[in-house]
Amino acid sequence: MSLQIDILPPANGSQRVALAGRLDTHTYEDLDVALAPLLHRQQQSLVLDLAGLEYISSAGIRSIFKARKALGGHGGKVLLVNPQAQIQKVLDVVKAVPMHEIFVSTAEADAYLDAMQRKVLRGDQDEDE
Amino acid sequence: MLIRLIVPGEIARVEDLNTSLEAVLTRHGVDAGVRGDVRLIVEELASNAIEYGGGDGVDVGQHELSVDIGMDGDLLTLRFRDQGAPFDPLSAQTPDLEADILDRPIGGLGLYLIRQIAESMHYERIDDCNLLRVSLRVPTPENQR
Repeated sequence: MSLQIDILPPANGSQRVALAGRLDTHTYEDLDVALAPLLHRQQQSLVLDLAGLEYISSAGIRSIFKARKALGGHGGKVLLVNPQAQIQKVLDVVKAVPMHEIFVSTAEADAYLDAMQRKVLRGDQDEDE
Repeated sequence: MLIRLIVPGEIARVEDLNTSLEAVLTRHGVDAGVRGDVRLIVEELASNAIEYGGGDGVDVGQHELSVDIGMDGDLLTLRFRDQGAPFDPLSAQTPDLEADILDRPIGGLGLYLIRQIAESMHYERIDDCNLLRVSLRVPTPENQR
């Protein structure tokens, strides 16, 4: 089984990518290539929907690290949504992502992003005044 | 022993190894959680042996990887053998998991993952081979209560 990568239409300044299958030593390079054009300075958040992902190894974790590092450089975030049991276990063990950046549903991630954006908008208004 | 598999030390063969192991474990009623752990351990050890097993100037293509798997009560034991340069995975450094994401080096996680998931591990250098034994506790109706 390989990895399916679905790049969904961007919404709300956030880019959503759905993954299915296995993210491992055989497939991580496909993800790196698919994410590369999305990891630019204007990208504030990348939401990886992991509902269809069945398995991850350290090679896959490294790809998520790379994306976090690329966006983190300008304050952007990578959020993970719907991790299955094996993936949650690996994320827990290596502490790949702070717990508050893993969400059990896309609705939760959206609420978090909305709150982040409201904070940014409020900040902009303050500067105008 | 349930099965012994021997493949050439090439990344493309790691998936064959895991596909066969998965089929055997499924037939023996091993649950999906343990099957995922086995897949992870085999992938991490095999790709490590292939990537780093060559040492200096040794042709990695000549390597053979051998995995056998056995069950004793609720303990599943994988024995992983490779012909690479001597390497004791138990001596590998623990990555700094508390470091900020931007300061963390990419990599060094595979062996750490195995050490956390395994019930026990034992390394030996025998006949010019690295032999690593990894045991996993398999959930049974008795030990889950």
